[in-house]
Amino acid sequence: MAATASEGPFSRALPWLVPLALIILWQVSSSLGWLPPNILPAPTAVLQAAWVKLQDGSLVDNLGVSFARAMSGLIIGGAIGFSLGLLNGLSKQAEMLLDPTLQMIRNIPHLALIPLVIIWFGIGESARLFLVALGVFFPIYLNTLHGVRNVDPQLIEMGRIYGMNNRTLFLKVILPGALPSIFVGLRFALGVMWLTLIVAETIAANSGIGHMAMAAREFMQTDIVVLSIVIYAILGKLADSATRALERKFLAWNPAYAKV
Amino acid sequence: MSSQPTGGSRVSLKDVKKAFGSNVVLEGIDLEIPAGQFVSIVGKSGCGKSTLLRLMIGLDSVTAGVLDAPALKEQAARIVFQEPRLLPWASVKDNVAVGLGEGQSGKAADQQAAAILEEVGLKGREGLWPSQLSGGMRQRVALARALVSQPTLLALDEPLGALDALTRIDMQALLEGAWQDLGFTALMVTHDVGEAVALGDRVILIDHGQVVLDLPVNLPRPRKRGTPEFAALEGQILDKLFGDDPRAREAH
Repeated sequence: MAATASEGPFSRALPWLVPLALIILWQVSSSLGWLPPNILPAPTAVLQAAWVKLQDGSLVDNLGVSFARAMSGLIIGGAIGFSLGLLNGLSKQAEMLLDPTLQMIRNIPHLALIPLVIIWFGIGESARLFLVALGVFFPIYLNTLHGVRNVDPQLIEMGRIYGMNNRTLFLKVILPGALPSIFVGLRFALGVMWLTLIVAETIAANSGIGHMAMAAREFMQTDIVVLSIVIYAILGKLADSATRALERKFLAWNPAYAKV
Repeated sequence: MSSQPTGGSRVSLKDVKKAFGSNVVLEGIDLEIPAGQFVSIVGKSGCGKSTLLRLMIGLDSVTAGVLDAPALKEQAARIVFQEPRLLPWASVKDNVAVGLGEGQSGKAADQQAAAILEEVGLKGREGLWPSQLSGGMRQRVALARALVSQPTLLALDEPLGALDALTRIDMQALLEGAWQDLGFTALMVTHDVGEAVALGDRVILIDHGQVVLDLPVNLPRPRKRGTPEFAALEGQILDKLFGDDPRAREAH
């Protein structure tokens, strides 16, 4: 089954069939007037809106702003989550000191902090950064901790018998052993990252894709609203594909991640 | 073959005792193992044979008595476990390089790794991941990792216990060949009395923490199972292990 499913042009086209059919159905419904444009504009209208926004430069500007926000939040929150995950995974004392508090904070939906964040930071850049960083922190922290904890103790004993010092043991045994779990965390984090950014940009921003959508809403420009949604979908898919590519590169040793 | 013989080193135990808390696992162990000997250690589960091995290789310390093994001071003792314990994310060659220890890389190290991989019959597979190898080949990599630093003392803790019968026979020949080529002292714990007789210069039987049989095996190598001499030695060990209980012997 698996062998035949990955061969031939037909099977390669298979994942695209359903989206394509939906778009055609959507286009036909719009052209026949079943879907009024103020409810849902035709795909061609969305494409046209994209073209207009590309030409006046605002699409690229807003996209760049949103992308930069997403990445800075991911890097800040991810770095803190990764470091604390390693620290608590390697040191029992650190875990006893910090983990219960972190687990408690984890249960607060980070978007519930928006009113407080606006009071603290206003609607400036730091508010959005804070929310994205907080959102991505937990998936990365939890999965890094889990990954470090679950490295095969027999491999660690082997490393010690072969005279590895702590640094080598970490670099050659613990970190590579934790990597599959860390990647799971990264993929979760990317999902949270876009979600947080969308909410933060629609509530309080004067630039970015979310802002573009909210501004369009004021003038009933449904084509631009839909365009924004489509862009978020594409960004999410790109982030996921990038992670998959990284997994294939760094986890090539693991049969579960070998090229499908 | 391609690797230079390194020679073996002796191990001597005088009135050695090992206890974990109040639980005495080994007592009154006296053994003289000359350099280069292949010693098979057999016994029932929980008899203390693995503990004896761990003592001789320096993974545990003796509670009383004297253990003298020059290989331990020279860091020239290595162990192969029943599980290969390879790093799944490192290639065959990098796994073998782990055996060279810290700061050993470059051309000389590469040559050593290549030579030992040839010795265990894995030439041409340097770049594969462990997940791409069969169980027997993984254990060969583990053996190469243990041998690459040219140890004078090699401990084998049921090294072939997880392999199927045909692969075991293959691996026994390989192990014997490597031992003959390199000359290290070999200490092998096994459940399989036939394997102990096939490989050992000497078979030591442990029961209730004591040496109850120390049997020299003077058969020419490579040894043929099924000859009367071979069967007689096996019978002698099984008699000592199970007494005269015929059902237990049948099961074995």
